[in-house]
Amino acid sequence: MIKILNYLLPPRKWVPFVIVAVGVGTGLFAYLLYVSNAVSYLSDDPKTCVNCHVMTPFYATWQHSSHGRVTTCNDCHVPHNNVFNKYFFKAKDGIYHATVFTWRAEPQVIHIKEAGTDVVQKNCQRCHGDLNANVKTTGVTLESKSHGEGKLCWDCHREVPHGKVNSLSSVPNARVPLLQSPVPEWLQKQTDSTATEKKKETKQTK
Amino acid sequence: MKRKPWLGWVMFGVTMLVVFMLGLLVNSVMERRTEALFVNRVLAPVGEFESKNEVWGANYPREYQTYIETADTTFSSKYGGGKMKDMLHEDPRMVVLWAGYAFSKDYNQGRGHFYALEDIYNTLRTGAPKGPQDGPQPASCWVCKSPDVPRMMDKLGIDEFYKQTWAALGPEIVNPIGCADCHDSKTMNLKITRPALIEAFKEQGKDITKATHNEMRSLVCAQCHVEYYFDKKSVEGAVKVKFPWKNGMGVEDMEKYYDGIEFSDFTHALSKAPILKAQHPDYEIHQMGIHGQRGVSCADCHMPYKSEGGQKFTDHKIQSPLNNVANSCQVCHREEEKTLVANVTERQDKIYQIRIELEDQLVKAHIEAKLAWDKGATEAQMKNILQLIRQSQWRWDFTAASHGGSFHAPLETARVITNGLNKAAEARIALGKVLASLGQTGPIQYPDISTKAKAQQFIGLDMAKERANKAEFKKTLLPQWLEQAKKK
Repeated sequence: MIKILNYLLPPRKWVPFVIVAVGVGTGLFAYLLYVSNAVSYLSDDPKTCVNCHVMTPFYATWQHSSHGRVTTCNDCHVPHNNVFNKYFFKAKDGIYHATVFTWRAEPQVIHIKEAGTDVVQKNCQRCHGDLNANVKTTGVTLESKSHGEGKLCWDCHREVPHGKVNSLSSVPNARVPLLQSPVPEWLQKQTDSTATEKKKETKQTK
Repeated sequence: MKRKPWLGWVMFGVTMLVVFMLGLLVNSVMERRTEALFVNRVLAPVGEFESKNEVWGANYPREYQTYIETADTTFSSKYGGGKMKDMLHEDPRMVVLWAGYAFSKDYNQGRGHFYALEDIYNTLRTGAPKGPQDGPQPASCWVCKSPDVPRMMDKLGIDEFYKQTWAALGPEIVNPIGCADCHDSKTMNLKITRPALIEAFKEQGKDITKATHNEMRSLVCAQCHVEYYFDKKSVEGAVKVKFPWKNGMGVEDMEKYYDGIEFSDFTHALSKAPILKAQHPDYEIHQMGIHGQRGVSCADCHMPYKSEGGQKFTDHKIQSPLNNVANSCQVCHREEEKTLVANVTERQDKIYQIRIELEDQLVKAHIEAKLAWDKGATEAQMKNILQLIRQSQWRWDFTAASHGGSFHAPLETARVITNGLNKAAEARIALGKVLASLGQTGPIQYPDISTKAKAQQFIGLDMAKERANKAEFKKTLLPQWLEQAKKK
């Protein structure tokens, strides 16, 4: 270990340059965390999920649904069996989401993956155990469904909670808590000149 | 390292690559964040105080078209809906209860927001002004009728606005309740545009700017759908719209406030009681019911999401949820529509039943009090009785004036009516003693008030004259207003 470290250490006269280079890298990484609002991802606040605007339709439909006053996104979409599993799943899912979003590979209609399906199904049962105790399909898991034994909750409850219609353009005018613009106001004004010019033209008419 | 200089270069290259990629990633994050701001861009800019709804509508056709649908008056539920109903015709007791106040002339079940101005022109309560300085009403009557109000408040200043007469602002206030009343012209976020609500929050030590988005979905409605009064004291010559919320939003809290400032809306023509007129405390009563307590907002039921061509948007046809059970009730309640409507009307029926019982008692109390005065009762004898009548009628009106109170908070509504019945009973027992002491024996003759016309005749209104004046106003001044507005 120490041998390898010694091997990699730069010659003495290089040291200042290396320190600067590593500093630049670290600084840029810190800036990345700042710009991407990374700390917010530790919380359970649904606002976090609309950091990326592709989630707007899902935030808006949840907010207008029967679950809108009593749940957060994480109540359904991350596991709750123990804290390690919760954060492990969150990190895994988050990195996957971030990758897709960064590569601009998000589909027009987002479908939940197998791992997510399993988590959501378990979370339905976590809260609604008392409601569906007499329903035959209680205890259906993703595995049993794939063997043709029973159905998942939303195979019947299709509207819950996001509605049947969901695509990236399904809620054009949803009001969701968007992050503040990273563009400073003076710059915004410059780039927005067309709008301001028009505004001058449309006087306060009645 | 010393023996292999190329390794140094490799590390240099790797570091450079990492920093370069990091830079690209940062750039991409910023780009995508900026994108979010362009998702919902106003294409045709809207001025800050733009009061013309159609200008906003150009940007938001779906919302605007559903807003226009508030012109639909076909739906009528058992007690409400968008259809115009002559409330005095349906319940002539109200004529007597409001004797000495303009509500006894004319009181209709409201229609959609689209008709806000048409209906205020038509109602006999606004009288028939002949010129800009003519009465009877102050500009305060416009406050909840039009997005031109914030525009004029900005132009004149709030106090100056409140100093005007209703007639003086006629040519300026020409667009019915619409976009600018609730929305920010730039961001389209919900926004409070009426000073009274902001002041009421301040008085309670709350900061309205801290309201969450979900609270705002009720608070924009609470700008108008609340109990208010005309405050003539705080600014010389101005009639300010003010909410009596300083002690809280319950019926007793507001009463305490009114008693504290020795306020009454009018002195009753028959009993001479100092009466408080309640004005639709819808928001307050909703907050006291189970839906309000669970955080269900006004918009959740009155403006639910609507799906059209694969796009979801807020339905701006603000209406009775009973006309749209599938998208309001059934979002949470998995019951048959028939069952849900039956549940609502059951509550309404029961509340209506006890409300009418209270009205009957109150009408008799007013008539008996008049009889006592006629027989020569003294102020001292009547003082306590009039106070009881005031308290009883305040409780009755608080429930009667509210739209949907019997659904929003059936238990609270029933409690308030029961309190009112108790006060009416106490008043009538005391009246019985006073009347006996003045020599009244045997049964009292109560007038026939079975129809609106008979009741209005009984309290001495000249309805023919009222209507003729109104027709004159609609022939002369009103067209002038609309003409002037068009020119601007």
